[in-house]
Amino acid sequence: MTETLLRHTAVLNSAHTLLTPSWSDRQHIDLISEAVTRALKGTSLGINDIDFVIDSGSDFLDGRSISNCGFLGAMGAHHKEESRVEEDGLWSLMYGANKIASGAASVGLIIAYSKPSESDVDAFWTSLLEPFIQRPVGLDQRSAAGLYAQRYLAAAGLGADDLRSVSEHAWAAAARNAGVDVSELPTDDAFWNDDFATPLRRSDLSRPVDGAVAILISNAEVAASATSRPIWITGMGSAIDQHFLAAREPDTFPACEVAAKSAYRMAGGIGPADIDLAEVSATSTVGELMVLEAVGLAEKHHGIDLYRDPDQSRINPSGGALPADPIMATGLVRLHEAASRLGGRPGVEATDARTALVHGAGGFGMQNHCVITLEVNS
Amino acid sequence: MKGETMTTTDAPTASDEMESLAAQLRMPYTLTPGWATGIFLAELGRHRLIGSRHGDTISVPAQDFSGTSGEPTEGLVEVAPVGALQGFTTTADGTLGLVLIDGTDIPMIHRLLDFDSETLQIGARVEAVWSDKPVGSMLDLAGFALASSSESFSPRAVPGDLLPPVLQVDYSMTLDYQHAYGPYYGTLFNAVKYDRRLRGVTCTKCARVLLPPRAMCDVCFAPTSQWVDIDAVGTVQASSIVHIEFIGQRMKPPYVYSEIVLDGTSTRLIHMIGDVDAEDAKTAATPGARVRAVWSDRRTGSLTDIDYFKLIP
Ligand SMILES: [Zn+2]
Repeated sequence: MTETLLRHTAVLNSAHTLLTPSWSDRQHIDLISEAVTRALKGTSLGINDIDFVIDSGSDFLDGRSISNCGFLGAMGAHHKEESRVEEDGLWSLMYGANKIASGAASVGLIIAYSKPSESDVDAFWTSLLEPFIQRPVGLDQRSAAGLYAQRYLAAAGLGADDLRSVSEHAWAAAARNAGVDVSELPTDDAFWNDDFATPLRRSDLSRPVDGAVAILISNAEVAASATSRPIWITGMGSAIDQHFLAAREPDTFPACEVAAKSAYRMAGGIGPADIDLAEVSATSTVGELMVLEAVGLAEKHHGIDLYRDPDQSRINPSGGALPADPIMATGLVRLHEAASRLGGRPGVEATDARTALVHGAGGFGMQNHCVITLEVNS
Repeated sequence: MKGETMTTTDAPTASDEMESLAAQLRMPYTLTPGWATGIFLAELGRHRLIGSRHGDTISVPAQDFSGTSGEPTEGLVEVAPVGALQGFTTTADGTLGLVLIDGTDIPMIHRLLDFDSETLQIGARVEAVWSDKPVGSMLDLAGFALASSSESFSPRAVPGDLLPPVLQVDYSMTLDYQHAYGPYYGTLFNAVKYDRRLRGVTCTKCARVLLPPRAMCDVCFAPTSQWVDIDAVGTVQASSIVHIEFIGQRMKPPYVYSEIVLDGTSTRLIHMIGDVDAEDAKTAATPGARVRAVWSDRRTGSLTDIDYFKLIP
């Protein structure tokens, strides 16, 4: 029963635009059509082979209502079934994979887009909060991260300086990633040391970037003819926590744990030890550690141990979300990064990883979590 | 700087390039807090904190439903406006604390006021600071400051004179945007502003001329190429005479709203037909009627630089 999805849906190809703090000379549609064109390129499939398009974005970020309606042409969705998910693109992927696994469609395009440079990102995050109790007092994404961090660090026996190994790994990996607009580790002293949301510094918070990502998925039959190296979606899970930040656990993400367990179960009872490579999303360093612990890749309060080796390439080899957070597309970019590596695509470092865990987060203060497991034939 | 009587086109300079559009969304709301939160908000004005009971758990602010089980609350309680600090963070906008009110189980987040950041510690006793002018909002409780006394009490039955819930909280959200035009709209609006012409692009597959221009044809998902200059003259495809008033109108009703196919294009442009009596428009601004743009004196680089289209007799 729980294995119906196993090896029914494959990632055929994927692409994203450069992730950069501001695409000031490009519209959403320009970014979206570039990502879609590149995802189709080199495959034997064209736009007419696509059965459906599912996309993720935020009307608040985009500054227009039902913004996907204006982006249909750029998504190649003319006269196709199109549906929008107001959550990170990883939820769109889950929706699309379910459609294919159900037999209702053969080939789908999953798209996510974001131009946070066009709006006030702090106001966007605050707009997610209920307006009676939490919003009026000035709670925002920064202070939410700070409140988690203070309690997590105390419980884990860590100091704010310890978090530098997490952000340094992220930025160093991003500097090696041609898809992210980072040429070198930031050298700005204030970035690493000045208080931003105590105990966190600016370097502990993710950097919003503009960009679009497109993922081409299909059923096994199409995959067999379209690619010699399909990436199978083996497990999926999502779970959401309470909305009131103060009511949530102070130093863990139980919803993320539930999401991971359901993905592991669907993948045939695998566990964290079976995961060769992980690409996870977080809006802060402490958030990243809490995700890694929730999915079981580290013991509770010991996520930091994963960064003892600065050259490790099992966790966020792309750099993760800290240097490049295209809000609403961040998790789907993680899936692209994991699939590129499992597929041995040109332009990424070679790896013998065969399995991957991909994580996306959504909502205020990482309220919502989605976990996908991937596998490639050896 | 451009002269007021300028009629010719200045060559665009770098600073004139059409790069982005400033836009603002302003949305007024009348929010309904509901029963429990409404009473909590109402009672803040009387310097009382009202919580709600959910099994063994007491939460404040009062909630209609349990955040974990979804069960309705078993009733309200009054709690002391004092508690202990469980955590805090400081940003450029101030300091927020997690305050666990005495006798409750779920902390609340609020502003910390009048404290020394050097000595602030988890576990510190804090007390409510009330606003002088209550308005029925969360900020009637201005925040928490270090407690000046050890007075407190256990959660107790709500007072007999409990206020009815605040029924409505007025709220307005204002969001500002700076939308990039990108190369295609940028080229179009530059041409509108400086040359008083429109520019479209041709689809490489279906050969339709698209206005506004774009990188990909919406129908074919094929790239476009080849810019086409378009005269602001065309044929009405459909019209509607607008009689109602609404926010954002540029003309006073009644006026004529039309879909116009400009000569040489394959797309429809939505604009207005002016200089015609609304009654006459019923027969004159019908499908097939020919129209020509009347350019404004303004040069904003948008389609509002066309005041309206005028019927060609
Ligand atoms: Zn075409």
